[in-house]
Formats: sequence, C-alpha cells, structure tokens
Amino acid sequence: MKLLQHSNSKITVSRQAFRAIVSIMLACLLISCGVKAIVVEGEYPRPAVSSVDVNLGVYYPPELKAFSYNEYTDEGKEEYTISSGATHMQLFNSILPSMFTSVTLLENLEDAQAANVGAVFVPTIEEFQLALPQKTRLGAYEVWIKYNMRLLEPNGDYIADWILTSYGRTPTATLQTAESGINDATVGALRDLASNFSIGFSSVPEVKEWLESN
Amino acid sequence: MKHSHRKALLSRRHLRCRWLMLLAVLFIATGCTTTRIDEFRQGETGIEADESIVLLGRRQGSTYETREKFVECIGDNVSRGTLGLRVIPEDDFINALFPWFEPRTAPLRTEDLQVLMEEPIVAQKIGEYGIRYIVWIDGQTEQTSSAGSLACSVVPGGAACFGFGTWENDSTFDVRVWDITTFNHVGTISAEANGQSYVPAVVLPIPLIARVENNACESLAQQLQQFVQGE
Repeated sequence: MKLLQHSNSKITVSRQAFRAIVSIMLACLLISCGVKAIVVEGEYPRPAVSSVDVNLGVYYPPELKAFSYNEYTDEGKEEYTISSGATHMQLFNSILPSMFTSVTLLENLEDAQAANVGAVFVPTIEEFQLALPQKTRLGAYEVWIKYNMRLLEPNGDYIADWILTSYGRTPTATLQTAESGINDATVGALRDLASNFSIGFSSVPEVKEWLESN
Repeated sequence: MKHSHRKALLSRRHLRCRWLMLLAVLFIATGCTTTRIDEFRQGETGIEADESIVLLGRRQGSTYETREKFVECIGDNVSRGTLGLRVIPEDDFINALFPWFEPRTAPLRTEDLQVLMEEPIVAQKIGEYGIRYIVWIDGQTEQTSSAGSLACSVVPGGAACFGFGTWENDSTFDVRVWDITTFNHVGTISAEANGQSYVPAVVLPIPLIARVENNACESLAQQLQQFVQGE
C-alpha cells in the first residue's frame, strides 16, 4: 500500500484512508449535518371577481413577514425550515388590488387614519402543518394552513375577525425533490386561501353587515 | 500474433454490435396493452371553426387527482390531424378564471356552471376564449400488481443488474362534455386500459414497458374529436 508521509511530522496516512475521511466529511456537510431551508416561491393570478368599493389599508404584521415553519424528524431533529412570509405578502399584493377599489400598504397600524383608508386588513398565520410522503405513506406532500383574518376600523376598532383554512397537495413524482414537493404543496395551499378569501370575503357576516352600513 | 489479435478485436466488435441490435429491438418492443372505449351520447354536438374547447382535470377527490400531464396529452392529440380542434391550455384557462375553477370551487354540475356564468367577468372571459365545450377529465392510472425482484450492484469496475420484475397498470378515465351554450351534459366517454410491463435483467436491465396511460390518452382523444364534431 502506498503511503503518504508528512515531511515535518510523523503522521502517516494511507491515500485510501485520506480519501475516505474527506468523502465522509463532504457527505456530512452536504447531506446529514444541515437543516434544509426552503423559501417558498410561487406565482399567483389576479382573481376575476367584482371589486368592493373600499379603499383598503393592508398591514402585514412582523410575524407574517418573517413566518417560517420547522419540520422535525421522528428523532426530534430539525429537518426542514420552510419560509413563506414573503410569498404570503406576494399573494395578498396580487389578489387585493382586484378585490378592492384601491389598496394602501401600511407600515404601522397607526398610519391608517392619516392614509384615509376605509378599513384595515390584517392577516396572520395561526398554524402551519406539513405531511411528508415518507411519514404518511400517502404518496403526496400536503400542507394545511390556518389563518386569522382581521378587518379593523382605521381607529383600530374591530369590524370582523374570522378563521380561514387552506389546503395544498402535490403527488410525489419521479425525479422530484422533497424541496420542490413542499414548495408546490405550499403554493397550492396559498392558491386555495386566495380562492376562498376572494370569493368568501363579502359573505363573512360581520363584513357583510359593515359593507351594507357603509 | 498480430493477425490473431486483430481477429479477436473484430469478433469482440461484432459481438458488441449484436448486443446493441438486440437491445434496440427489445427497447422498441413494449408490453401488451388492452384499451376499451365506451361512448354515451346525451345530446347533439358540433363545433364552428372559431369555437374552442377546454380540457380540465378533476381534482376534488381526496385519494387521487387527475394528472396535469394526462390532460395535456389529450389536449395535444385532440388538436392534431384533420379533425383537430382549437384547445385552450388548462393552466391558461384556470389562471384567467381564477378563483372559479380551483379544486374547491370548480362547478361539479352543469347547474353550478349556469350559476357561475351569471358572474359577468366569468361570462366575458369564457366568451373571449370562444369556448363551446368544457371537457372534464377524471381518472387515474394505478399499479395493481407486481412480482419478481431485481438487484443491481455497483462496484469500482462497473455495474450490473440481475433478476426479473413485472407489474400491471390499470387506467380508468371518464371524459364528460358540457355544452356552454345550453348548459347541458352532452355525453360521456369512458376509457379502461390495462397492460403488463416486464423488466428482465442479465447484467443490463431491459425494460418492456406497457404504455397503458398513453394508449388510454390516444384512444380517448380520437373518440373525443369525433364526438365533439358530431360524428
């Protein structure tokens, strides 16, 4: 066996052992030693719905902007970190202008009165659940998201506060990575949210009452 | 010595060529597939040159959803040939009419479509596309049985597989045609296809794949073309 000898020290490592160590270190770095970070990306169409005659203020709370969910292995180790705050804002920015006469983004809730908006919409994520095919054996990536939607008067008083749930599913496919499966299922859940929200907004009893009185 | 070396080289080349030819023949050969098509007509059909159809996959089921690729396959086949129809791509239509044709909101009955068409934006968009028929495709392909075993190993000198694997695929699809002008369900075409695939492996695996879903797609598309044209 050919040996490699360090000139200054007495450490002697066989070429094969050296290669094996490097391979293990690289594999460790690439596969098992890190959490897989997924930043959800998607495109959302503008809804074909009649617009509500309201100048709507929108406030994205910091928890929504930076929302991420951690999925753990059966051993309790972090497996995936799914960041969906940016894509949620992209979704609302895409659907709200089609649903209302005008939309104003607010940096703070206190800016609402100065911005002369009719109402302020504040979406938050209450719960995020992920089902992986390797755990469920159902041959699909599934995502459930529970939202709390709030509509406020510009002075901060409540108009409506309601819960919406959404669901997205992507069947497993050959050569598909877990990352793309999770991304597609999450985008599916966001589309489901957008369809329920845009069709059902005016039917929420408190919202309906407020729209009729304004 | 030199002559015998060349002879050995030539015979090795000849053998390699034979192997390649055998492989090519085996790759072209596929497993057997049986396809059955049933048509049930409930109304008159026909389409003008400026009218189009849209093919949509049903995705309401909790256990399966109609694959986008299958819908695309039927669309490609329906738009080809002398009887070729103008087909609106599924994605374009669903995005243009968002959120009315999503899995949770799509109309399940023709009565629901009639109510939906009362939305001015929906009626306008469907009118812009010149859609005469909405065609719903519902079904899936399942692997119903499998047998045998195949083992492959990779060693520094190369890789090899040994064994034999076989499985059966069953495809069941329903195609329902809705006439936009009358809000009637004008007919259903059903396809049932099944086929056995084989993979024998002696060093190299030789897949003999039954094109079950592809056959169902081609047969359905051909029947749908004739159905919509009123033939």
